[in-house]
Amino acid sequence: MDGYSLPRLALENLVKCYGETRVIDNVSLTIEPGTAHALLGENGAGKSTLLKMLSGVVRPTSGVVRVDGTELPSYTMAGARMAGVAMIHQELQQVPELTVAQNMFLGRALRYGPVLARTKMEIRAQEVLSRLDPSIDVRAPIHTLRVASRQLVEIARALLFEAKIIAMDEPTSSLMPTEVAKLEQVIADLCRQGVSVVYVSHKLDEVMRICHRGTVLRDGRHISEVNLRDMSERELVSMMVGRELSAFAHVSFRTEEVVLTARDLCWGNKVRHVSLDLHKGEVLGIAGLVGAGRTELLQLLAGAEKPDSGEIKVGGVARQFRTTRDAIALGIGLVPEERKRDGIIPLRSALSNTAITSLGRFTRLGHIKAKQMRARINSLYSDLQLRPMDPDKPIRLFSGGNQQKAILARWMLAETEILLLDEPTRGIDVGAKQEIYRLIRMLAAEGKAIIVVSSELLEIMTVSDRVLVMRTGHVAATLERDALSEETIAHYAAETLQTAQTELVS
Amino acid sequence: MSQQKTLTLRPETGQRLRWLPNLRDAGTLIGLVVIAVVFTLSTPLFMTAHNAINILQQSSINACVALGMTLVIVAGGIDLSVGPVAALSAVITASTLHAGIPIPLALCAGIGVGLLCGFCNGALVAFAGLQPFIVTLGTLSLFRALALIYTGGNPIIGLDRGFRTIFNGTLGPIPVPVIIAGVIGLVAWFILRKMPLGEYILAVGGNEEAARIAGVPIARTKIATYMISGCVTSIAAMILIGRLGAAEPVLGNLWELDAIAAAAIGGASLMGGKGSVVGTIFGAIVLGEMRNGLTLLNVQAFYQLLATGLIIIVAMLVDRFTRGRA
Repeated sequence: MDGYSLPRLALENLVKCYGETRVIDNVSLTIEPGTAHALLGENGAGKSTLLKMLSGVVRPTSGVVRVDGTELPSYTMAGARMAGVAMIHQELQQVPELTVAQNMFLGRALRYGPVLARTKMEIRAQEVLSRLDPSIDVRAPIHTLRVASRQLVEIARALLFEAKIIAMDEPTSSLMPTEVAKLEQVIADLCRQGVSVVYVSHKLDEVMRICHRGTVLRDGRHISEVNLRDMSERELVSMMVGRELSAFAHVSFRTEEVVLTARDLCWGNKVRHVSLDLHKGEVLGIAGLVGAGRTELLQLLAGAEKPDSGEIKVGGVARQFRTTRDAIALGIGLVPEERKRDGIIPLRSALSNTAITSLGRFTRLGHIKAKQMRARINSLYSDLQLRPMDPDKPIRLFSGGNQQKAILARWMLAETEILLLDEPTRGIDVGAKQEIYRLIRMLAAEGKAIIVVSSELLEIMTVSDRVLVMRTGHVAATLERDALSEETIAHYAAETLQTAQTELVS
Repeated sequence: MSQQKTLTLRPETGQRLRWLPNLRDAGTLIGLVVIAVVFTLSTPLFMTAHNAINILQQSSINACVALGMTLVIVAGGIDLSVGPVAALSAVITASTLHAGIPIPLALCAGIGVGLLCGFCNGALVAFAGLQPFIVTLGTLSLFRALALIYTGGNPIIGLDRGFRTIFNGTLGPIPVPVIIAGVIGLVAWFILRKMPLGEYILAVGGNEEAARIAGVPIARTKIATYMISGCVTSIAAMILIGRLGAAEPVLGNLWELDAIAAAAIGGASLMGGKGSVVGTIFGAIVLGEMRNGLTLLNVQAFYQLLATGLIIIVAMLVDRFTRGRA
């Protein structure tokens, strides 16, 4: 077959309408065999819808999807699978109690008549999996594996059925840097074997390392086709957002007054002898690898967990928190890392989600003064530029950025003086990210004291006045703003110098 | 920051929308009306003022229990122990009356028993971290046993006449039990929609971990729902023994199923975080009118049970398939 003239994947004039709204408006693109192609754009740009059409989850309103020049036999999941398209979802679709091999053959089990060919499946699974990671045991129940390994199993499952195109939606959202590096290698290998990868991720640095080419989408339209090898991250972001990004000059609002002190905090082997001082008006960044104890430290400071030993002082007075309520009463609020799991109450309106902590303040004679509360929250939402402005809509229908703003508004409404933000821009698109940064600085200017935990070095360096680097539960270094650079942070964050260089400096 | 204040707000839209009748409640009401129309066409006995009041009266006990159950379910729990709580509360009230204690004190004793039972359920769920289903399955046996042990298994008969007239009386044309159920409905609605406790109940049922981080008093909220359930259940028990004139330790059998059914028909999700007071009242009336109508049509009791089961499943199916398209 003439491999040069036929692209591996061709989308031709794809359109998807929901009622009146066109979420995908006439998008065409082609992907060559053996390349990794990124779909880029803000949330709502149409990346996921495009992936869903590709994998047959959503049927296009019009347009054609071709694999190796042949149109999909049907625009269903089965049709896409037959054509050789496999999709790796962000939330892995696996049955936790079944073994690796059983999961790989789920729904397509090999059998001898009515009997499952268990050994045969295990051998096949092992064969394919060993191309990715020979250390994974195909007989292990899948829930005993780390997320990264489970992802490899999912890729192996795709290979098992000879996928030609593997679409990945935010595959690295819960991986450690070493595991991301491993995935990068796997993708490179897949490409060498002629498989094409369609890649969606919010982490641009990673996209630029992994992918060769990219398609920028905005508002469901094709904006441009770019060669990622000769573009800067900055250029790319402006293309996605559709405007120039303003880099703001850093002004410190830090005062001498210490509002929160931790001395010698210990909690199991996750937090070891951590001491810190947080000043009024300061943004203190906490950097480190996943598992360095950053989230756990915030949980201790927010009263969500109890330390084994050590002391927490708020405004100079030693305190012990029995629950989060004690910490909240002293003006400490946590914005958790897993927004869906720990942050929002999905069925309730944005308004309720924001109000929940401050209801007592708006209650007279046992009932809530709704009008007064609503007015106050609406003015907060406009300060936060929370759009679209329908505070009575269930919060689960909001974008990640707007959900995060509603949670931030919760603490602003509660007049919380100390904010603990755990990965505040996780899963939030680039445009909204900038707004969150601006907000963090605005809150600092108002005299709040803020701790920001983040795995994105650029983010930490953008918002922080001072950075604490954590490593295996203890503070490895405290860096003032003028001493910040990706290299220094990475150096202190990594367990040894060598891993520092391979993991974080790129 | 320059464009910060340029955004205009439409705070009024939300306000107006909130006062439109809830779509899900309207659905339950339609179901209620459809069933009424079918019975009206089937028998002339059904659509009379007397029978309508009859239906309300017959639904009032279940409505009381179901309203408490709704709050428990919305908070993500379940209370299987309502029947035995009613029995225990009934026999204690009856025996205090027998001992010659004044009616208001006897009522307080009965309701106190309900609150205490609710507290036990709530504390086991909130502090010991046990699953509500299992906890109340345990107390279902436990409270029933206490009621049987306390009475030696015998009914307490010959209740005080004054006590009986309270619950058998009417206010104008409306029987007292219906008024009581109505008042409990209003209170439950007020709790759920107007009080911080209501927001807490919805939050705890909607996402307990997020509620904890937001500073919602989780344990207090859960215990409150079980205590409310215990309280309204004991009131329902008073209505029943007032009507019967006797308190049996075995009364209240399968009350939990009727109450859960009414709440579910009314739109409560057993996953928690969702439910409606108005819907539950409609749900209780739907079950009541089904029984009433089928009795008027001389349908055998076995078939009545069949119809009740079908109504629950049909209601859930309608709910499931209309929600997807809304």
